[in-house]
Amino acid sequence: MRKSSVALTVVALVLFLLASTAAAKTRVTYWLWLDDPTDTTVQELVEEFNRLHPDIEVVTETIPLANYYDQLLMAISGGGGPDAARFKDWWLGAFYDADLLEDLSPYIANWPGADDVVPNLWNTGMIPGVDGIFMLPHQYITFYLYYRADWFAEAGLNPPRTFDEFLEAALKLTDPANNRYGFGLRGGAGGQDQWLAFMVAGGARIVDEAGNIVINSPKAVEVNQWYIDLYRKHQVAPPSAPTDAYAQVVGAFQAGNTAMMAHHVGSSVMMTDVFGDNVGVLPIPAADPENPATMGTMSGNVVFSTADVKDAAFKFISWLSEHEAMDKWSKSRQGQLPVLQSVAEQDYYTQNEFFRVSLEGGNYAIVWPPLPGTGYVASYVWQNTMQRALLGEITSQQMLDEIAKALREGN
Amino acid sequence: MLRRLNEKERFTPFLLLGPALLLMLLIVAYPLFQALRLSLFDASLLRPDRARFVGLTNYLNVLRDPLFLRSLLNSTIWVVGCVTLQFTIGMLGALLLNREFPGRGLVRGLSLIPWATSGVLVSLMWTWMLDGNYGVINDILVRLGLISQYRPWLALPISLGGVIAANVWQGAPFFAVMLLAAMQSVPQELYEAARIDGAGRFQQFRSVTIPLIMPTIVITTMLRIVWTANYMDLVFVMTGGGPGNASIILPVLSYITAYKKLKVGEATAMAVLQAILLIITLFVYLRLVNRKGEGGLSLYEV
Amino acid sequence: MRYKRVKEFLLLWIPIALWLTFVLFPYVWMFLTSLKEPSELYTSPIQYLPKKPTFAGYKLLMETTKFPQFILNSLLVVGGTLLVTGTVSTAAAYCFSRFDFRGKGKLFGMFLVTQMFPSVLLVFSLFLIMRTLGLLNTRLALIVAHSTFALPFTTWLLTGFFNSIPKSLDEAATIDGATRWQTFWYVLAPLSAPGVVAALTYVFIYSWNEFIYALTFTSSIDMRTVPVGLNTFMGEYIIRWDLLTAGGVITAIPIVIFFMLVQRRLVQGLTAGAVKG
Repeated sequence: MRKSSVALTVVALVLFLLASTAAAKTRVTYWLWLDDPTDTTVQELVEEFNRLHPDIEVVTETIPLANYYDQLLMAISGGGGPDAARFKDWWLGAFYDADLLEDLSPYIANWPGADDVVPNLWNTGMIPGVDGIFMLPHQYITFYLYYRADWFAEAGLNPPRTFDEFLEAALKLTDPANNRYGFGLRGGAGGQDQWLAFMVAGGARIVDEAGNIVINSPKAVEVNQWYIDLYRKHQVAPPSAPTDAYAQVVGAFQAGNTAMMAHHVGSSVMMTDVFGDNVGVLPIPAADPENPATMGTMSGNVVFSTADVKDAAFKFISWLSEHEAMDKWSKSRQGQLPVLQSVAEQDYYTQNEFFRVSLEGGNYAIVWPPLPGTGYVASYVWQNTMQRALLGEITSQQMLDEIAKALREGN
Repeated sequence: MLRRLNEKERFTPFLLLGPALLLMLLIVAYPLFQALRLSLFDASLLRPDRARFVGLTNYLNVLRDPLFLRSLLNSTIWVVGCVTLQFTIGMLGALLLNREFPGRGLVRGLSLIPWATSGVLVSLMWTWMLDGNYGVINDILVRLGLISQYRPWLALPISLGGVIAANVWQGAPFFAVMLLAAMQSVPQELYEAARIDGAGRFQQFRSVTIPLIMPTIVITTMLRIVWTANYMDLVFVMTGGGPGNASIILPVLSYITAYKKLKVGEATAMAVLQAILLIITLFVYLRLVNRKGEGGLSLYEV
Repeated sequence: MRYKRVKEFLLLWIPIALWLTFVLFPYVWMFLTSLKEPSELYTSPIQYLPKKPTFAGYKLLMETTKFPQFILNSLLVVGGTLLVTGTVSTAAAYCFSRFDFRGKGKLFGMFLVTQMFPSVLLVFSLFLIMRTLGLLNTRLALIVAHSTFALPFTTWLLTGFFNSIPKSLDEAATIDGATRWQTFWYVLAPLSAPGVVAALTYVFIYSWNEFIYALTFTSSIDMRTVPVGLNTFMGEYIIRWDLLTAGGVITAIPIVIFFMLVQRRLVQGLTAGAVKG
């Protein structure tokens, strides 16, 4: 006992001394989650930044996404958190409410890269009615629809542009006896994004122009009912839909058990690897084709108001949003859509059907508004109420009332 | 006989217990005190410094919340289901491993593997095996003719059953090993005496083995009840409490309340209530067991 | 003779086969999954054996991820926890077994009561304590936490074990002029080896698997333990089944070796300790 504790104390002391001698540089702690742990792009970028900026040392910490929000909350409120972090638009409302986010607009005013950012994407870092930008846009996605081009051709169906055509095709391609279903509905973790894509494409909105919550309006209840009916009434989704998360939805599509699924460019390389020309891509069908809409979601970067090294932290996150770093990140396996015009203009994006449809979606994409309860809804309430609605325990109206209440009150 | 303490040794017990007590005070007692305090506040996890004292409001709100009662019911099913099945399977395993056969050491060693598998991994394995489209369990059940078509086990209102299956797999070896150890300590002469009296295998088991290993049964089931009641990894990863609220159990509900709803005061009140209920349950359980006269439980009589 | 053979087959070997299937099947399935190409995972009907077994997942795991570091961290944390819990609980158990003092029963009961509380209740305050102590993001934080939560059960196990060793042995040694330390070291310690093995097995398993504290008290990837590290293989849009299953299989190897080595002593230790309560 005694020996071991002495040894531990010595080790701790040595570590402490080592740490303190290296502290001559400004040290920035940056948290992120990785979509593919085998990809070293981020590590390379950080090393390059540290080499280019001898006075700053960025230290990254990778947190599993499933626990990211929880751990960030605890670390920030407990006082041991990072200076800057990768961040989702879902979480802005709660963190802003708690005065934990630094307004980046003074920094952005002096940042030369600002002009290159696609102008309407700045919205994703702003809070309605508040002057300031709290998240620097970095990578985003918009939802589109994959469909099995070969099956559609066989059945003599045209790719669906409207809700009616979508349902018709789904019904035709559903054949439970052969374990084949029209649409891979995602009721489990993360399903809120494709749900919102269909909701807005159906004409529903979370908030109106004035910022009032209208997600439980009659229009929204109707569209939501249509979505629930895909599973309950028309049964064009697999029986496992209520709990299916990404792995199950994409697995079913790959195995030839579903004809359509909603997702984004993140999966396009894998899809073409598996299917070649047999997979097609379409914008999310709309109730009214004159008014298309889809959902977009931004993964940006924030600096916390609790940070001591805000200047250096902003220097790092803005460097990530400059042309070269952006180009490298966007084309890696972590990559989504770049927020810089100069990157998005490249042939790599414009000549690729998946990117083209995605970027086009950026013109009319709607994001989760930064309300106090958005994080709670996105991480829990949506899934809970959607599953109960899919099981028939609550109605469309009850589901949306619960979501509206959670969005408004933040709990 | 315990030796009488002389002057010089008066402080030895405290020296020996010191490190353990220090750890307990720092790592359990102090946080527990903080938690009890927090349960009286309306506190957000994001800004605990802005907490407001609300007295017992959190407790009243929790007790009035239908979701709390639902979780309590699910927790009861969860604990009773897991512990009963783990115990039964563990007992069968122990009886088997107690017999002589070549390669017994190897089989015993392998038997412990599920117990040593982390909750995260158990969840992933079982989610994959229970999958509604590609799950091997569905395939086996169909081949055996037990079901006619694949079922999405974790998407059904009985999803808690799937999680219980995973937990039974993980937990049965614990019982097997503990009961095996207890069986080994039963003197062989007692079995011989019973055989001479004409007792069959089953009667020997009932009238010799069971009474003699009763103390182990009581203690292990009790520990297992406590651990299972507080164990949330599997439910959290496999179903997240869903579909809907079908598999929500108390620790998951307090976790969601703290880290998703950010109501850390309310979450703490929930956890305190759960601990109180658990203590009452164990108290009643011990009473029942001891009344039967077989317990001989010396938990507090070291 | 033949009848006996058949009976043995039916009543012994079939149950053993069933038992082993129950215990090992999930691992076998995980191993088979780890050898499959990603495209072979989602097939209907289900494909049992990989067409072209590939170890690509293992290679990727060891070469491109921090998995070797996760294993090292887990081993260091488990090692430290074994050391701390081993010494602290042996001292405490010896005290409970060989000394009589006021409030002993109550104190022992309190030890066990600490197990009643869900970790969600304690983790936030513990996070603050670890920060104050400057232990965040160190393996020491995990060693401290794991040791504390493993203490009650190991102390209980060892107390039972020491109680099963006749106190007359101590007395004989004392009469021969041995000090208390000598009595412990030369009389009790050799006899209690199996009990210590049993207790430490429990500690090993607890610390090797523990998730919530390991997740909360570390944030740097270089400090992650295996359970938390495996969780980082599930991204927002990608789940690397190849890495997860390969990681699961590799994780099992040290455990199997450990169990093979200790199983005899483990059962002996529990035999002597468990029954006496």
